[in-house]
Amino acid sequence: MVQIGIKVLVHVVYVVIGEYTFAVWCKGRKKKEKAKDKEKQHGFNEKAFAPRSGRRAEKQGRRAAERDQTRLHVPLVDRTPDDQPPPVVIAIVGPPGVGKTTLMKSLVRRYTKQTLNDVKGPVTVVSGKKKRITFIECNNDLNSMIDIAKVADLVLLMIDGSYGFEMETFEFLNILQSHGFPKVIGILTHLDLIKKAATLRATKKALKKRFWAEIYQGAKLFYLSGVLNGRYPDTEILNLSRFISVMKFRPLVFRNSHPYLLADRIEDLTPREEIRESKGKCDRTVTIYGYLRGTNLRHGTKVHIPGVGDLDVKTVSMLGDPCPLPDADSEKRRKLSEKKKLLIHAPMSDVGGVVYDKDAVYINVPGSFTRGNAEVPQGEGERMVMDLQDVGSTLEDRMARSQIKLFGSSSKPLEAGPSRLPDDSDDDGSDEDGLDVDDEDSEDGDDEDDEADEDELEFDAADSEAEEEGADQGRSAPRRVLRAQERASNTHQGREIDYADSDSDLGDDPGDEDDLGGGSRRVRFGEEDNEVDVHSDEEDEDAMSDEDVPQWKSDLASKALSAYKQHSRRANRKDWIKLIYSSSLTPQQVLSDTPSKSSKADRDMDDDFFTVKSEAVLGGGDDEDDGDRSKEVLKEEDFKEWEDEELLDSIRGLFITGTAEPAEGEEGYEDQEGGGDFEDLEADGDAAEKTVDPEAARAAELAAKKEALKKKFDEQYDDPEASKMDFYEEKKDEMARQLQINRAEFEDIDPEQRALVEGYRPGTYVRIELANVPCEMIENFDPLYPIVVGGLLPAEERFGFVQVRIKRHRWFTRTLKTNDPLIFSLGWRRFQSIPIYSLDDHSIRMRMLKYTPEHMHCFATFYGPVALPNTGFCAFNSLSNTAPGFRVTATGVVLDIDRSSKIVKKLKLTGTPYKIFKNTAFVKDMFSSALEVAKFEGANIRTVSGIRGQVKKALGKPDGAFRATFEDKVLMSDIIFLRAWYSIQPRKFYNPVTSLLLSEKGEWAGMRLTGQVRREEGLKTPLDANSTYKKVERAPRRFNTLKVPKKLQAALPYASKPKIMKPQSKQTYMQKRAVVMEPEEKKAVALMQQIRALRKDQIARRKEKQEERRAVHRAKVAKEEEKKDGKDKEKRKEYMRVAGMKTKREQENEGGRSGKRRKKED
Amino acid sequence: MTSTNNALLFSGHQYLRNRLVLSILSGKPVKIDKIRSGDKNPGLRDYEISLLRLLERITNGTVIEISVTGTALLLKPGIIAGGSITHECPLSRSVGYFLEPVITLAPFAKKPLNLTLKGITTDDHDLSADIIRTVTLPHLQLFGISEGLELRIKKRGSPPLGGGEIQFLCPIIKQVRTLNFVEPGKVKRIRGIAHAVRISPQFSNRMIEASRSILNRFIPDIYLYSDVYKGDDSGKSPGYALSLLAESTTGALYCAEATSKPGTAPEDIALLASRALLTEIRRGGCVDRKHQTLVLLMMVLGSEDVGKCRMGEPTPRTIQFLRDVRDTFGTSFKIVSAESPNPDAVELVYSCYGTGYVNANRSLA
Repeated sequence: MVQIGIKVLVHVVYVVIGEYTFAVWCKGRKKKEKAKDKEKQHGFNEKAFAPRSGRRAEKQGRRAAERDQTRLHVPLVDRTPDDQPPPVVIAIVGPPGVGKTTLMKSLVRRYTKQTLNDVKGPVTVVSGKKKRITFIECNNDLNSMIDIAKVADLVLLMIDGSYGFEMETFEFLNILQSHGFPKVIGILTHLDLIKKAATLRATKKALKKRFWAEIYQGAKLFYLSGVLNGRYPDTEILNLSRFISVMKFRPLVFRNSHPYLLADRIEDLTPREEIRESKGKCDRTVTIYGYLRGTNLRHGTKVHIPGVGDLDVKTVSMLGDPCPLPDADSEKRRKLSEKKKLLIHAPMSDVGGVVYDKDAVYINVPGSFTRGNAEVPQGEGERMVMDLQDVGSTLEDRMARSQIKLFGSSSKPLEAGPSRLPDDSDDDGSDEDGLDVDDEDSEDGDDEDDEADEDELEFDAADSEAEEEGADQGRSAPRRVLRAQERASNTHQGREIDYADSDSDLGDDPGDEDDLGGGSRRVRFGEEDNEVDVHSDEEDEDAMSDEDVPQWKSDLASKALSAYKQHSRRANRKDWIKLIYSSSLTPQQVLSDTPSKSSKADRDMDDDFFTVKSEAVLGGGDDEDDGDRSKEVLKEEDFKEWEDEELLDSIRGLFITGTAEPAEGEEGYEDQEGGGDFEDLEADGDAAEKTVDPEAARAAELAAKKEALKKKFDEQYDDPEASKMDFYEEKKDEMARQLQINRAEFEDIDPEQRALVEGYRPGTYVRIELANVPCEMIENFDPLYPIVVGGLLPAEERFGFVQVRIKRHRWFTRTLKTNDPLIFSLGWRRFQSIPIYSLDDHSIRMRMLKYTPEHMHCFATFYGPVALPNTGFCAFNSLSNTAPGFRVTATGVVLDIDRSSKIVKKLKLTGTPYKIFKNTAFVKDMFSSALEVAKFEGANIRTVSGIRGQVKKALGKPDGAFRATFEDKVLMSDIIFLRAWYSIQPRKFYNPVTSLLLSEKGEWAGMRLTGQVRREEGLKTPLDANSTYKKVERAPRRFNTLKVPKKLQAALPYASKPKIMKPQSKQTYMQKRAVVMEPEEKKAVALMQQIRALRKDQIARRKEKQEERRAVHRAKVAKEEEKKDGKDKEKRKEYMRVAGMKTKREQENEGGRSGKRRKKED
Repeated sequence: MTSTNNALLFSGHQYLRNRLVLSILSGKPVKIDKIRSGDKNPGLRDYEISLLRLLERITNGTVIEISVTGTALLLKPGIIAGGSITHECPLSRSVGYFLEPVITLAPFAKKPLNLTLKGITTDDHDLSADIIRTVTLPHLQLFGISEGLELRIKKRGSPPLGGGEIQFLCPIIKQVRTLNFVEPGKVKRIRGIAHAVRISPQFSNRMIEASRSILNRFIPDIYLYSDVYKGDDSGKSPGYALSLLAESTTGALYCAEATSKPGTAPEDIALLASRALLTEIRRGGCVDRKHQTLVLLMMVLGSEDVGKCRMGEPTPRTIQFLRDVRDTFGTSFKIVSAESPNPDAVELVYSCYGTGYVNANRSLA
């Protein structure tokens, strides 16, 4: 049946193919005919786009090339693994009431077909066969926005279409920009509130334009029309999800060099008792769950939780993926199956009735969950809870009443009663005189069991250690014997010996503990050892004298020896990793083939514990100065072997001139060396290989030869340019190759070992245990505020002076002042510090600026945690929501890290001359002592008028006066100043923003500005009398006339002689003459005079008139102005009224957080 | 070995240089105690003090505290500053002792280093200036540190009085390139420098003759230079030495050196050096025993990729170094044996995942 079916199918296919080819053939023919028929072509006309001239062609070519280059980006290595990438973090950001939760619910519904009631914290869903998404909603707190901006891969930026952009949106965009711009999709909502189509179109257009200006031209902006059933329309959400799924993410530099994690869930592991004792104020041990992102998380990495602080990672453990990708065999289909679609991981939200809190798991059950409610479906859990409600007596009572029947048939039950007591007390007593391990434990009733457990554990650990040392044969058996013996004699004694044993082991190498890793019990024993060992040693000796040396110990050396001999047989096969990293042998012992020394050392330590260790044991070095020399001592005896000709010949193969196969000679030589059996093994292997595959070898050789020939041919005949990659391609290729190597290298190691070598890879779901977490983090935990765990590079744990390039934000209204505290968001951290602004003064000095310049970058230096150069940051004056205006104060980038700073500030010392000789003057009031002057001898000084000079020497009489010389004579009225540079250091102030530790997360208050403090304390600004501005009274300067002595004048050449002439005393020719006019002339002059008078009068009158008209106009304008002002006032009043109502409503809604804000009531 | 309140704790005077270097590079404070505490002459030696001084000058903000007895030491590292520095080395060790740690630090400095060291240039404890110039510095080129890397031997100085002077120039880099060096190749050339100061220049020629008598049979491409320093440049004491290096087709370098001892003929010195070189060649691997730690350190500091290198059996120094690296950087190596052409040589492939160390000291301003 099946066969037939297939055949039929094949036929059909064949037919189809046949038809297709036929059709194509027909088409081709038709086309040809057509081409013949018509000259006109359809589609792309080559000629139309051909350049008209050579120059234009060149221009076009250049433009094409340039456009091609814009496509290229610096190749970056993507450190996220391809096979199991971590979920993409999609943050939903926007002002309150814009519909973030609705969008989140809609998207989650789209991916998982589940409806979330209460969205809190991150929600992870499977979105495709190889893709997962973590959604997180960002609240309106600036701290949260900063943290989210640092981890989000894609931001869904929500904008209220009926209202427009809000300040927070722009603030968030600026934060994004300074922390490496992740992808942004804009989403316009509330568009249904705009009723008129034309207005809608205009609004969309305007908002889009602004959005593009902010992100980039052509950035995607989505429109969501309205809300249906509490969700956005399904088709629109589907489209949005499609856009999300095709999104490509370019790795961001900072995230590509730091491991980080967005906490899914947080759990408090602190023992309840400790919390109770300290009334909840003790430091907590906290575990945080989440997917690792970024780079590998190594051992010993410190982490920073923004809002909490730097924390030590206690342990990291890999967990099973709570939201796994569909695996290959379950998913053969192209699409994600419906079953997989249901997968969702949202521990802090209410999914499937289970909510994880910081210290509890809540199970939500429909209906009222009380007894007697029969409608409630009763599962196993529910029934248990119901039963618990039934309990009438306390646990203690029930314990007292409880009975154990050893056998089902036994008639009388065993009783947990007073019969055990004497034994117990005995145990206690011995405990106290021997060693005091666990006081609390020994008080308990079931103490002995515990101890026995511990004993066993100890033995196991010791066993495993012994195995690790390499002597794994025959050691376990004697141990068992010993245990049996000791059990028989005295449990207590047994423990003692055991401690002693473990002590010596531990004493050898504390590093061992680390390797053994997680066993917390084990580690605890190690710690206790310190107190214990003196006792135990005594006891140990006692034990030895009393009984005997334990059997397993007696032949320890010989056993180790034999084991080692076996080891050295295979020197080549040594497990170097184990020997180096997890054995306590000294380096010399690792290398030496005989273990005698090591075992001797061990015994030494056992026997005479109190003797001072010899240098050899301590350091492992034989002679004193051997330690730090890099060259080995050349001893002639060592090289005697080279006198042998055969040996010389044997290494010919290692030179290019030598023969290809030196195997023969070498083997001969090795036999002489006398390392018999080992070489035999090798030789055998070689021989076997040779016999097995000569043909295969020949084939391989042939293949290689062919390959080489082909390559040669290709090189000769192919276009050499075609095969050559350009720089960009080459780099990309190199990266790909390196990634390949990375993947291949550790593929075969087991995951635990692999984590040791390369750390935990991104994409794994881990549980990070953090020690010493401030209790406020747990107490004030709020799942609405994201918790980001950022790994720190070794450099970033340190503190220093950070020099940054900074620019005040254009929208921030005030200038920034040196020594005013500023909140930085740099790297993972948010902290307050005190910057000093400076500018580079002609590359000579860094000169302090009191205020940041307008519209220009300047430098700032502050004390704080180091960040790598080229890291971007943004700064704020205040993070609180009540701060008015634009809160992003400045943005910039880190330039330099140092332990000292070189900023100087200008200092002018002034003085006045009190005695003047020709070019020399005595200056006072600049310094206060001769010593100070001595410091400044030779310094350049200057008068205000610009005469330059030099400090020469201190004078005796007035303290601090000195002699100075100038290039010209100075005046007594001159002020003389010395320009000096005074170096200043930024204050060492670092205050992390611990917003997550507060109950009111937005209310973090750091160091305040001086003005703010004064305002809040009601203090007046102190006024220094010397600093007030007073009117400067300057008497007009009178200059004496220049008098050139007559003698000198006479000696001057004519050109230089002052040409001062006396005023003319005699009347000139014209003045002497009287003028008599003719009658006509007289008349004309008179007429002219009259006309002028008339004209004057006319102008005056005209002016008067104009003034009148103007006055009328002014009055009119004033009237109008008044009217307009009134209108404006009305408008403002109306606006404020609406705003007031809005805030009032918001405040009302704050409790329920269901703040749906409707702005367009008016 | 265990870290208590953030400081690494070591004991013993051995491996001091490596530990200081690791501390400065990682920025973790290091505390070393029991420095020759059981010795008749306890505490730090003069050359160790001198080294600490030198490190303090190369760095900025380093705090070094030495206990009263000199048996304990606490170093809180600052940043590596670089710049132009002159240092007078004591006559108890040669300049190689001081230069080795500096070579590993200098590429990560703020400014290019220009270091002048005065003292003994060649002795039989540490790498001589010749070896460092011809072998150690080329090893740095594997990691992308090449432009401007230079060692100038201005004057030679033999023990006991020294009087030599060298100048070390090192550029700064942003990040170390990842190493992938598993092909040792075959020896293609042998070079050498023979020098004789304050004695007859004939000595160096005699050494060259003797060395050639052994090496000529293997390869024709042998150039042994006779390096002549006259007058003031030749230091204060007489001495001679022969340093040899063999280079393979893939760039692996093997080196050996022998220095003059009273009462030995130059021919014997030459034979010693040549045979030591042959031993080194026979050991195989891509990196010789003297430079294992340098190469391993640079691999650890590489970008976050897998670096691989083939070397011989680790020396005791290397083993301790690997342990110290694990404590400071948290990086452990994967060490597996490689199949080598001659079965008696232990050849191992060391691979590690680089820490992605970026030169944070580098200034952009």
